[in-house]
This record gives sequence, structure tokens and C-alpha cells, in this order.
Amino acid sequence: MVIKLTQEVFSMKRFLACVVIMGFAVLGCAEKQAVAPVPQPGEMTPPSQPKEVEQPKKVPVTEQVTEQQIARVESGDVPSKVEEISGLFKDIYFDYDKYEVDENAKLVLRSVADYLTKNRAYKILIEGHCDDRGTSEYNLALGDKRAKSAKDFLLSLGVPSSRADVISYGKEKALCSERTEECWAKNRRAHFVILKGKK
Amino acid sequence: MKKAPAAYTLYAIRKKREKNSRISLLCVFLCVLVLFPVSCSLCPVAEAKEYIDITSPALKKLPIAVSEFTGSPGKEISDIIRDDLDFTGIFLCLEKNAFLETPSQPFQQKNWTGVGAEAVVKGAVGGGGKGLLASVSLYDVAEGKELFRKEYRTEGSLVRPLAHVVANDIYRYFTGEQGIFRTRIAFIGRKGGEDALSLMDWDGHRTSDLGIKGNVLLTPRWSKDGNRLIYSSERYRQWGIYLLDFTKMTETKVISSKGTNIAGDFFPNADSVIFSSSMGGSPDLYLYSISTSKLTKLSSSRGIDVSPSVSPDGSQICFVSDRDGTPQLFIMGSDGYTVRRLTFQGSYNTAPSWSPKGDRIVFSGRQGGKNHLFTINPDSSGLAQLTDRGNNEDPSFSPDGRYIVFSSDRDGDRAVYIMRANGEAQKRITPKGIKAFGPRWSSN
Repeated sequence: MVIKLTQEVFSMKRFLACVVIMGFAVLGCAEKQAVAPVPQPGEMTPPSQPKEVEQPKKVPVTEQVTEQQIARVESGDVPSKVEEISGLFKDIYFDYDKYEVDENAKLVLRSVADYLTKNRAYKILIEGHCDDRGTSEYNLALGDKRAKSAKDFLLSLGVPSSRADVISYGKEKALCSERTEECWAKNRRAHFVILKGKK
Repeated sequence: MKKAPAAYTLYAIRKKREKNSRISLLCVFLCVLVLFPVSCSLCPVAEAKEYIDITSPALKKLPIAVSEFTGSPGKEISDIIRDDLDFTGIFLCLEKNAFLETPSQPFQQKNWTGVGAEAVVKGAVGGGGKGLLASVSLYDVAEGKELFRKEYRTEGSLVRPLAHVVANDIYRYFTGEQGIFRTRIAFIGRKGGEDALSLMDWDGHRTSDLGIKGNVLLTPRWSKDGNRLIYSSERYRQWGIYLLDFTKMTETKVISSKGTNIAGDFFPNADSVIFSSSMGGSPDLYLYSISTSKLTKLSSSRGIDVSPSVSPDGSQICFVSDRDGTPQLFIMGSDGYTVRRLTFQGSYNTAPSWSPKGDRIVFSGRQGGKNHLFTINPDSSGLAQLTDRGNNEDPSFSPDGRYIVFSSDRDGDRAVYIMRANGEAQKRITPKGIKAFGPRWSSN
């Protein structure tokens, strides 16, 4: 990624240039001498090659252009997958840029709490989603708050915290992609997934 | 293309150079008296100067003729050099079909004065075995002389990098600054419901898939030394922040927990990272040291704190919070104290990123129902809108601060675009048919 210079050539050139310049300086010779631009201290990249301005007949500088080979990396971290049941509950919906649960949502959440009371081996995963207006990161945080509001309501109904997980997908898993109020409203949702065999 | 403007920029550059070399001669003389025989490598520091003042708002473009290089693949190389120089907005690249001198003819002053060129680039590409050897010369038309000549050698597969190195040398000759033509952009490509962490050259060419796949991948962020990349990945219902080390080509997990973990940014030391996590209930900002695994909570609000961006000197953090009701940008010290609000216009300001000098912050703000890019000074002054089409997000500066990369849906699916930092020359760099977003310019 970084220009690799033949360091020896570079430093030798600069050394010679300095010696020549010093020679002029010591002799008090005020003749114009083109000097290669030199990078400022603190620059991130290594200094470039000296520029041969006045002596084009010299053997030109040769730079070897190289590049680091980039091997493919395998993702090492793969947690075990848990069996999931989706579609038992309706999605609940949110207003634009808001994360409070409304009365319709509370009806759904009551039935979720009911289900969890009857099925003690299962837990619930609440996915928070957003419409695609706005930026990825903020929507991820907003989706998190939506799922968390739903979870908080479940906790208020007596569901233990350990049986409700939240995850946000922000705007990354939209159900539809039209730019209409109807589609946006459909995407501003929390979705419920039952996780089996995970207490 | 237009003919050269009357103002003779090369002349001005030459004058500056002569002045600079006189100053540096004086420096050298003093060095000799005072420091001799201390290493002379200290001396050239005073020579560093800009030749074209690229910060000047009244910048006159330098008319340059990039002659087609002879040999194969000479045309490809000279076209890349031309495209690189043209995008900077500093050079006026003259049309090839107006040239009087053929690529194989030696440089002659009289062939270029009428064309309006002040500088001419000529080159020849040879092979010999499987390698490539390009000999390049840069000429000053008014003086009728060669300014520099250099050879570039590489293997056959690195045609584009070779051309970018030549362009960097020409750029540096005239501006005194390091060009960005060999930098790269990390981004996320989304295809068929699967995300892939990818790299491409700054001009959108030579895309490579790094092998990191995921259900959802977001927010790649470079360390300042360019050796590390952190990113967020959702794997089997958990958000984790992962680190790709380019020196070892390995992936390691930085942190994963219940809730949402979103990278984030590196501190200048490439060891500490800041990220947003809802592990404590609500999305807050956390500081994490990779070497010591020490985790520190930096912010704590009832609402959302997200998208932290570290200032180039590591002393300040710009982030997004809805603590005042709508998402706005805030700046705090890197210890989490002295929080102040940065943006006051509009009701949705997100995704901040600092310029390399720390003098500007670019962000995505909602204006007229669309997300547009803006820049602002860290003291809240100087707000400027840069885009006016589609929704635009994920902005970040090039390492020299002169360009901005971002994603936009202006042509349909999200794709990656680049532009100059003042909003000029906006162009798409990823191909149609692939969703591409989350771009981040490498720091070297």
C-alpha cells in the first residue's frame, strides 16, 4: 500500500546532493541549484525520490513499484446457530425517528408475554428495524432502541430479562424498498423470533 | 478543452523554487558552520514548500499535456496518469487530438507552445521478460527543457499501480505534496443478501473481496498506519466488532455482546478504538484498548450515542446523540468530558468524520427530505452543503484532505462516489449492479 523505494538509492542521492550543496555553500558560490522537494517532518508516507532537475543526462532514477499481496481471510468467529421459529407474532410498528411502543404494539407484546409464560424452554429475540431514510449507523442505534422499548414492556409484564434478547438491523433488512410512506411505515418495525433450546 | 489561461503558473513556480533554493542554501551554510559534521539530513527540512499553492481559492489550473506513452501498455498507463491529474482540479489536461507531436517523436518546444501546454509528460514502456519498464520524462515548455526523467519497473500485473506512482511523482513535483493516487478505499459490497468486505483503488478499479463475509457488515474503519481495519459484523444474532490485521492477514474479534456494537474509530495510536454499544442498555460510547482489553465507558445518556469519530490528534471525539430530541453532532474531549453541541441547523445530522488536519468535519444531514453531505468547522461556523442529488451518507476524507468518498443512492442502488472536498467533480466509482456502501478512505 505504501510506495516502496529503493532506500539505498534514495539516501545515497540525497547524501550526494547535500555534499554538492555544501560544496557550493562553503565556497560562497551563490549559483542557483535546484533542490529536490523534501517532505515535511511528520508526514505519514516515506519521502519520495529526489527530483533530478538540472542534470537530465544522468542515468535516471529507477523505482521498483511493488504491492503487498492480500490473501483472503476467513472469518474465524462463528457462534453456534440456534433453531428459530418466526411468524408466530405480528410485527409491531413505530413512528418516524421514534422508539416508543403504542397501544397496538402493546396488544402484540401481551400475547408474546403470554406465550413465554406457557413455553418456559423458549426465549424471544426482538429484531429492531428502520425505514431507509437516514444513515446506516444511526438507524442501527434507532433499531436497537425500538427493540429495547419492546423488551422493556415485556419486562413490565413480568418476563425475566434473560428470556428476551434484542438485536438491531437498522435499515439493512428492509421488507420493501419503494420510497412511499406506506413502505417506510412497513419497515419501521420490531419483529419477533422464538429461540428454541436456549434458556 | 480550453486553451491555457494567460497567467503563467509554471513561471511562478520556478520563481518560488529559486527563492526556496536560496533560502535552503543559507540553511545549508548555517548547518555547515554550526552542525558539521552532524548528519546533513537535517538540512533539507527548510526546503519543503508548496510550488502550486493548491490551497488558493483563485487557483489557475496548470495546462499539462500527457502524451500517449509508446509501447504496450503505454496508452493505458498514460490514460491513467491523465485521469489522476485531471481529477485533482489542479491540472488542465489538454486533449490528445490537438497535439502536434506524435508520441514517438522527441520533445520539441515548438510543438507545444501553440497547443497551450505549459508542461508535457512523455513516456515509453518496454518489457524484457515478464516485467514492465516505463521511462517517463516531464518537460517545461517555456524553458524547453526536461524537468525530470525517471524509470519505473514492476511486474506485468501492476500496470495501474505503476501509472499511479508516476502520477504521484508529477503531482508532487508541482505541488510539493504527496498525491493520493495509490491510496485505497475499503467498502461493503452487498450481493444476494450477503455482505463482503472489499478493497478497491481510490479510482474504483481493482476491487478485491477480502474474504470476510457476513449476513450484515458495516462501518469499516482504518487505523492511521493503514495496517488495521475494524468493522461491525452481525453473526448468528450477535453484533461484534472485528479487526483485520493486514500485516498478518488475520481476523480477530475485538468485542461482541448482546445488543448492538458498532465501530467506531481508531485513535491515532492504532491500539485504542472507540465504538457505540448498547451492552449497558442504551447505545453509549466505549473506549477499548486492543492490547490490554481494557474497556471504559465514555458517555452515558438515556437516548442514542453513536458514530464516534476521533480527531486527527486524538484529543476530541465528534459523535451523534439524540439527547436534545433529534440526532445532532456533538464534540467531547477524548476523556468523555466537556461535551458541546456542534450542529444547530436541521433536525437530522449524523455520520461525522474529521478532515486529516482537523479543521473540517464532514457529515450527512437531512435537508428537504433527503440526506445530503455538509462540512462544518469544529467551532460550528462555516457550514457548507456539498451534495444536492439523492441520499448521501458514509462520508470520509482522503488522507490529504482534498477529496471525500461517500455513498449515494442518486442513481438507484447505493454506490460509492468521490468528489473534491468542496463538492466539485462528483463521480461514481463502483459499477452498476452491485450495492456498495460504507466506503472509507485508507490513510496512506
